Amino acid sequence: MPCCPQPDGWVAQAQVWLGTLVEVALPAAESSDTCFAVAFAAIAHVHRVMSAHDASSDLARIAREAHRATVRVDAGTYAVLYLAQQLFRESGGTFDVAIAPLLARHGLLPPVAAGNAYDSGAPWGGMDALHLEPGLRVRTTAPVALDLGGIAKGYAVDRAVAALRTAGARAGLVNAGGDLRVFGPDAVPIHVRTGGPQGVTLPLVEIADGAVATSAYGGHRKRVDGRWATPLVDPRSSLPIMSTRTVSVVAATCMVADALTKVVALRGRAASAALRAYGASATVLSPATGRWRCMRLPAPAPAAPSRVPARRAALPA
Amino acid sequence: MMHDGWRILPLAALAVAPAYAAEYMTVEAAQRAAFPDASAFVPIPVNLSTEARTHLVEVAHPPGARDPRVWRAMSGGTTLGTFFADAVIGKQEYIGYALALDAAGRVLRLDVLEYRETHGWEIRNERWRSQFAGKSAADPVEVNRDIANISGATLSCRHVTDGVRRLLALNALLPAT
Repeated sequence: MPCCPQPDGWVAQAQVWLGTLVEVALPAAESSDTCFAVAFAAIAHVHRVMSAHDASSDLARIAREAHRATVRVDAGTYAVLYLAQQLFRESGGTFDVAIAPLLARHGLLPPVAAGNAYDSGAPWGGMDALHLEPGLRVRTTAPVALDLGGIAKGYAVDRAVAALRTAGARAGLVNAGGDLRVFGPDAVPIHVRTGGPQGVTLPLVEIADGAVATSAYGGHRKRVDGRWATPLVDPRSSLPIMSTRTVSVVAATCMVADALTKVVALRGRAASAALRAYGASATVLSPATGRWRCMRLPAPAPAAPSRVPARRAALPA
Repeated sequence: MMHDGWRILPLAALAVAPAYAAEYMTVEAAQRAAFPDASAFVPIPVNLSTEARTHLVEVAHPPGARDPRVWRAMSGGTTLGTFFADAVIGKQEYIGYALALDAAGRVLRLDVLEYRETHGWEIRNERWRSQFAGKSAADPVEVNRDIANISGATLSCRHVTDGVRRLLALNALLPAT
């Protein structure tokens, strides 16, 4: 019988998209081939238009043409770029989807993607060169190589959930390799699995309608030119972060949750304002000699001045 | 114990990460999903010469776990396409998957049948694991397959792409219909 890791009475199908395992799970009584088909079709569509490797994707066309003439993109690409631009500003430049050439230099992307040689010496533009214009049009003031690896998976999950709802599903779950969203009348327990060889699985939250995304870097380190690299590069230092922390974000949409995990991983407590702005919360797990330390963000807003030292006042309830 | 916003989790809250494992579809269910109109699936024996095997390894590393199983999807006397059940083993994962090709050899559908993380690291970290000995029985989290809805480190599926490339090459070597 299909389905194992899902709630009792649910069935799941899985396909490979966006470089990971995408699971769609539905209550058995309501599941239909049509539901699974529309959900995977929505994911496949996002995969195609936002691929950094496909020469016909929106990203490839932006890199090739947008500095010469405006490029009309898919509504999904536009929505993702809109949030990316907003988060770039709100995170003080730490959430940056224009650093594909930097990732290529660290060996985390192929040196040539979609016909664009990142190491060609061409002066690649940053986020400030990217302009979103009305009518789903994108213009850049310099060639910009985008990589939406830190946000597109979450968006794809949101699209799949929207497609399931349109198809009449009343409950469901879509999980793209750890970025997941649930909807329906009943709360579903969500666990978080930390990365790395000392991984643990913890109950994180129960939600009926919402998204959880997790970024763990410990298990994804690889050796590049004799140095360790992880897939998350700090645009301020141009160096990959070496943290062994696992960051989970709970938010209303999976796109927001997915993107905010990177802001929290890079900025730590300083990400509290961004989390509050999106009504999101984060759980940061950090290994400490055989145990795990846990921090919840945003920290409660500072109360009215009191005699209690500020540090103690900021402790989670 | 609380320091500066950090809290040490009580051990009872922890479960050693189980190797993620899930079975999604049986081969039969995947066959029906890919070829709903098929009246029969006729097994095709895969008898590859050493030469052909070498060729397939060149097309895609790493080689599959074993030879894929192959069927022709038939509707009466008409061939609808070819169905493969195969598995790839990466450094971290074992993935059983099914590939359906139409009669012209184009991809119709690709389904993951089974996903299982391999256990290499657990053995290597026996000493670390032993710290949790006896703790999991009272855990709110059940290890292994009972854990649903896991948000976590991205599962890798890199090798499936290689597997599909290998099956497409194998399809060209199969006897014509």
